[in-house]
Amino acid sequence: MRRCLLLLCFTFLVATNLLAQPNGPIQKSLVRITSTEIEPDYKAPWNSGGIQRGVGAGFIIDGGRIMTNAHVVSNSRYLTVEREGDPNKYPATVLFVAHDCDLALIQVAAPEFSKGMAPLTFGGIPELESTVSAYGYPIGGQRMSVTTGIVSRIDFQLYSHSSIDSHLAIQISAQINPGNSGGPVMQNSKVVGVAFQGYSGDVAQGVAYMIPTPVITRFLKDVSDGRYDRYVDLGVTYSKLQNPAQRRFLGLKDDDRGVLVNNVIAAGTAGKVLKAGDVLLTIDDHPIASDSFVELEGERVEMPEVVERKFKGDKVKLDIWRDKQPMTVTVDLQPLWPYLFQGHHYDVQPRYVVYGGLLFQPLSLDLMQAYQPQDLRLRHYFDYFVTEQIYLEHPEVIVLTNILPDPINTYLSPYKGGIVDEVNGHKIRTLEDLAKTLAEPADRLVVNLIGDGPPLVLDPKEVESARERINRRYNVVKEQNLTEQPPPKPAGSPPPDEEQAR
Amino acid sequence: MTRVRLFSVALAVCCSLGSFAQAQKKPTASPMPTAAVVLPQPVPAVKPKELSLVRVNVTGQPYDYARPWQKKAPFSKRALGAVLPKNRVLVTADLVANQNYVELERAESGEKCGADVRVIDYEANLALVEPTDPKFLDGLTPLQLALDTVVGDRLAALQLEPTGALVVTEGLVTTVQMTRYPAELGQFLTYRISMSMQYRDNSYTIPLVKNNKLAGLLLRYDPRSQVLDAIPAPIIAHFLKEAESNNYRGFPSAGFSFFPTRDPQLRKFAGQTGKPAGVYVISLEPNMPAAKAGMQVGDIVTNVGSNEIDQNGNYVDPLYGKIEFTNLITARAFAGDTIPIQIQRAGKPMQLNLVLDHRAAQDYVVPPYNGDQPPGYVVLGGLIFQELSRQYLREWGANWQKEAPQRLVYMDRFQSELFPEGNRRVVVLSQVLPANSTIGYDEFGYLTVEKVNGKEIKSLRDLAEAAKQPLDGFIKIETEEDPKQLELDAAQVAEEAAALQQNYGLPSLERLE
Repeated sequence: MRRCLLLLCFTFLVATNLLAQPNGPIQKSLVRITSTEIEPDYKAPWNSGGIQRGVGAGFIIDGGRIMTNAHVVSNSRYLTVEREGDPNKYPATVLFVAHDCDLALIQVAAPEFSKGMAPLTFGGIPELESTVSAYGYPIGGQRMSVTTGIVSRIDFQLYSHSSIDSHLAIQISAQINPGNSGGPVMQNSKVVGVAFQGYSGDVAQGVAYMIPTPVITRFLKDVSDGRYDRYVDLGVTYSKLQNPAQRRFLGLKDDDRGVLVNNVIAAGTAGKVLKAGDVLLTIDDHPIASDSFVELEGERVEMPEVVERKFKGDKVKLDIWRDKQPMTVTVDLQPLWPYLFQGHHYDVQPRYVVYGGLLFQPLSLDLMQAYQPQDLRLRHYFDYFVTEQIYLEHPEVIVLTNILPDPINTYLSPYKGGIVDEVNGHKIRTLEDLAKTLAEPADRLVVNLIGDGPPLVLDPKEVESARERINRRYNVVKEQNLTEQPPPKPAGSPPPDEEQAR
Repeated sequence: MTRVRLFSVALAVCCSLGSFAQAQKKPTASPMPTAAVVLPQPVPAVKPKELSLVRVNVTGQPYDYARPWQKKAPFSKRALGAVLPKNRVLVTADLVANQNYVELERAESGEKCGADVRVIDYEANLALVEPTDPKFLDGLTPLQLALDTVVGDRLAALQLEPTGALVVTEGLVTTVQMTRYPAELGQFLTYRISMSMQYRDNSYTIPLVKNNKLAGLLLRYDPRSQVLDAIPAPIIAHFLKEAESNNYRGFPSAGFSFFPTRDPQLRKFAGQTGKPAGVYVISLEPNMPAAKAGMQVGDIVTNVGSNEIDQNGNYVDPLYGKIEFTNLITARAFAGDTIPIQIQRAGKPMQLNLVLDHRAAQDYVVPPYNGDQPPGYVVLGGLIFQELSRQYLREWGANWQKEAPQRLVYMDRFQSELFPEGNRRVVVLSQVLPANSTIGYDEFGYLTVEKVNGKEIKSLRDLAEAAKQPLDGFIKIETEEDPKQLELDAAQVAEEAAALQQNYGLPSLERLE
């Protein structure tokens, strides 16, 4: 799924014969969104980053709001919206953006904008093999293109915008190309999905995905209180219970029910309730089959779908089987922060500390993609951050990512890529810890990196004397950025609220 | 010394650039058994008629670590061996490892004779073979060793045409330095030679001569850059001397890893006094000479024997100039030798006497090579268990460090950190053969086993024993990774064993060596 192509670009329709359109006059609901974005530069995080422009689609829903993909408006600094038959470009602002499900709501302040626009309404999950129409401007064409196809598959998919979240997605056979993103997919004059991702042609053809209405309505409900809380997660890993011997060992009946809890993420809310080795039998009274599927509204869906539809603070009831005894437990659902580090981040500036020409940054997917490190330890810390519960000791993994060469650090290049464990005997758990410890007066700074290796030793007086020289030579306009993205809190506490209305 | 040293690898390359001319002016006496020092000679003249070479034909058949119950398809290798005194022929260990049959062939007559491998050192990549007919090598004058090769010498690589005619290719020794040999254990002295050579007759082991004396054996050749690395005569001499004894011990090691002290801040931190010199000790192998002698992390090693060690870890060798001090241990000393090492601990000079020792492959948690040992395995109802080894990881090909399961590569690389107590193996549930016992388990693989039936598993033998004591009729396997636990029905496993063996062609359900 990493090869997924994010789809962008939509323009405007000039059509004459509205009657020929089975879904009605879509032109009255579609908009073209132009976003000027700043792409953060993780290798020079003090820079504001490169400026790019992208064009995407959107459509009017109730309240004069415009729905589109999160990836159409991510990192945007300036947004304009255009509509049919109107030469004006209307400045717009982002109301809500949900990077974990690739949806966003924007609005145009100018009252004249919504005149004559027709809000679209939502349908349900379309039947398999039924026909749907996708509206967009693929490959940057000037006129609206309509493609039709059938519903091919309804399944969980990785949403490549964050590249860590998986939700329900509907695969359709309608041609979708860059230029369809954010555009509606219609059936019987109702929106049944938002086109959002597909494969590039060398991977698979005729495979495109839309965000289905359960995900859309969940997003709309989540933001109805004025803020987006992101998805909640049980915070467990589980395996199927299809082996007869394993079922008998656990004392289960031969009834094809239950999944085995493998690992409970301590930072999650299930951490205090569930244990490894528990068997989950029902979730909110829906029986869980031994292949981890549950039946929901007549469809067989994977068990997490039950949790997917819930909100922060909601509860989920689980009938479990522990030590051959039945039990009923309730889990208070919260978002799970340790996973965030393995997904893409948007609308935030990279956090970092520069000290004596040494650049320290917290490990993240964006960092990994910027530096492409080959270091085995670093990749292990990234891959196993959650499963090996590395976050308990290091809520943030602070990496010495680069060295800006200067006489005071000229011998330090072998330390590049190291993970900071301690500074002057203080355990470094977060970037704030590091910044605070570096600021404390000391005769010398001894930085211990994880693993065998000598400590990295710096003389604070030398660092101070080289400070201006380094900043000038490398144009480091700001020596640290700690706050523009709130840091993860210690294990168990709720995550930072990242996606807020702007 | 045999540990992977992340930082000193680059260093070894730098030290080869050290001044050779200076080394010639200031020869340093060494207290250790040293090779005879002979002044460098100019270009060798090869007199082909006098050279003693035999063809070595080997049928190799390595074990298949991906299917540990079988061997891979046999294949043949042809090579040239150097005839040495006492009716022995020198070849590389690569050539004769996992061999089924070794045959010597007289180049001039085509006469053949079977041969036995007498001594093999996988780390130094050297082996001695001996013809079964003691008269087979009669008439061939054994080769003497040329121990005095230096940078600037010309060496000749010897190959044979299919007709038996000798092909001589000359090259210039550009560098003498410490490099890694194929076993990837520690650093050994290596000649780097610039040579444009063609492969002929599948030559596997290629001797290099200087003045009709054996100067080295081909270690690797890169046809693109036309750079040839050779196992040098001093390493061969060490191997031959050790091979004289009945109990071959291998090349010695000191058992510590180090880091250069070029950084003045690090020297200050370590309390180093006097002129900048020495290397910083970053880790110690358990039960190895340095740890036994009381060396500590943070010590600065300033002298090995009477040789001063500079900030990069080099000493001045009378022949080669600046070269990494590990050469004093691997090439110049033998297991059992006592070697005085001067250190500074928090600025205070101290002497440690290290009794050198060889670290055998089986002393590692993840063995770096398995020699000719067959891989062990246990099959339980279709679950295949194996011990993690470098040889197993190498099944992912030349690029195994990126292609093999990364968690297992991580365990290999950081084994001394992850298992500081040593003295164990990592048992891996490597694959699942679908069977009635393993329904629902067929997606699992590359899981590391923690416990079986509640007993901790530190070797395949532990696993085989623990599996014999089921819990209420179940064999319970606990893994470090998800799913954390798998259970088998012990009776069903026993019942299904014969059918499983037949179905998948398993000659045996376990091999415990």
